[in-house]
Amino acid sequence: MSTYTIPVGPLHVALEEPMYFKVEVKGETVVGLDITAGHVHRGMEFLAMKRNFYQNITLTERLCSLCSNNHPCTYCMALESIAGIRIPERAEYLRVIADEIKRISSNLFNCSIMAHIIGFDSLFMHVMETREIMQDVKESIYGNRMDLGANCIGGVKYDLTAEQSQYLKAQMERMKKPLEEIYRLYTENPFVRMRTEGVGILPKEEAVRYGLVGPVARGSGIAYDVRKKSPYAAYDRLDFQVQTEQSGDVLARAMVRLREAQEAVGIILQCLEDMPQGPTWIGIMPEIPAGEAVAKSEAPRGELIYYLRTDGSDTPERLKWRVPTYMNWDALGVMMIGNKVSDIPLIINSIDPCISCTER
Amino acid sequence: MFSFLKILARNLILGPSTDPFPHGETFTPEGLRGKIRFDASACVGCRMCEHVCAAGAIRIEETADKSGLEFVLWHNSCAFCGLCEHYCQTKAIRLTEDWHMAHRQEEKYGYVEKGVVGYVPCSRCGDPMVPVAPQLMKIAYRETNRDIEKLRDLCPDCRLKQSVGGR
Repeated sequence: MSTYTIPVGPLHVALEEPMYFKVEVKGETVVGLDITAGHVHRGMEFLAMKRNFYQNITLTERLCSLCSNNHPCTYCMALESIAGIRIPERAEYLRVIADEIKRISSNLFNCSIMAHIIGFDSLFMHVMETREIMQDVKESIYGNRMDLGANCIGGVKYDLTAEQSQYLKAQMERMKKPLEEIYRLYTENPFVRMRTEGVGILPKEEAVRYGLVGPVARGSGIAYDVRKKSPYAAYDRLDFQVQTEQSGDVLARAMVRLREAQEAVGIILQCLEDMPQGPTWIGIMPEIPAGEAVAKSEAPRGELIYYLRTDGSDTPERLKWRVPTYMNWDALGVMMIGNKVSDIPLIINSIDPCISCTER
Repeated sequence: MFSFLKILARNLILGPSTDPFPHGETFTPEGLRGKIRFDASACVGCRMCEHVCAAGAIRIEETADKSGLEFVLWHNSCAFCGLCEHYCQTKAIRLTEDWHMAHRQEEKYGYVEKGVVGYVPCSRCGDPMVPVAPQLMKIAYRETNRDIEKLRDLCPDCRLKQSVGGR
């Protein structure tokens, strides 16, 4: 049988974001893959050097919409580490809450898109409807459905009043049952299993070799989570488990994401319980001396690293970030080989690709 | 399979979960970050909002006749991040819950929030200065008394002389 090369993208209906794949197929089976990126490059690293530290909080938040809280949070952590600021304890908890709210929404979004790709649209709608609870939470507490605008240098911009804490707690309790239900559907429904089990397998050795992070690595049995390995904010005081799966297929990655969403509900409830009273930010605009720092956090897609160098002025000398999706793209080369053409969008979706992160 | 049929049946009974907007009411939470409102009487012209505005939507410039400071915010550039509100000490900038922002292309350049902070003369030297808002006095002195109130009408130079000289 001869081989063909099929171009997928840069704009493809099932991918919904621009990325160009050159897929080599033999019959119906994928035998090779070549990825070309850069279709929506925005030059944000350069832009960051032209703006002052405050403006960059907003700029980094616009890097990506689904993990939009982690970017300014990590950026502020890098700045705080240069300036030697310790943020108030209440702010640490509030940062965790913002992070985890975004994590639940992001993970549910990816899992719902998976249902959409396999043609199970009523499940897609059902998951999105559950996610809507989280969207309303974001809108009610932060004032926006995607960009929370929670972080500022030296803490957070928002505070939870007693009523808001009550509301958040009630909504988290409300999430528990649907999350459980959705998890059961994904793991037991014969249609979902038929399309996702054994598809896009990524062995553990390969995941290590490519340096993968986030739910993709955890789906292949690597228990790597920044929240546990090098805790930031209040994560060292919170009790949660790193979720892993051994099979490394599309289903395993979805299961990891859904269980992480369940864990996140628990983390938020713990935060509401343990959160001390006090200021939510340092209350002043600090002087940022010359220096450099690296900060990292666990975005919904995995480890996010920020490198920041300052020269004593009010703009960064260099701001560079390594986003989780960056390594995960490469692993597609391993996951795709040997699978059917019809599974291409499904496998691409399973790494939770974030093109706006990759091509900032 | 059966478990999903149950969910489908439940959703059928419950009906649509979307808001009937624009035919009916929709949910607008308190604290939604919408259209910006500027209060000129509270502004002290520190220009912090202009400095932190990531979109460059805020401009504060002296008016053409040099009678005060003009604040202009272009809603088409605003990213609704709320940094201006957060860093505004006197809370002269506030994000309202108004999200009705649709407007015609021809109104684009007029779709702005404007305000003029008129200068007042210094009570001692007569030089024009940005008035000191009561909100700022409250932050600086907590409680004000007659002596402190006197400082309010002085320009920074005269205020310094007054504070040091005590006259």
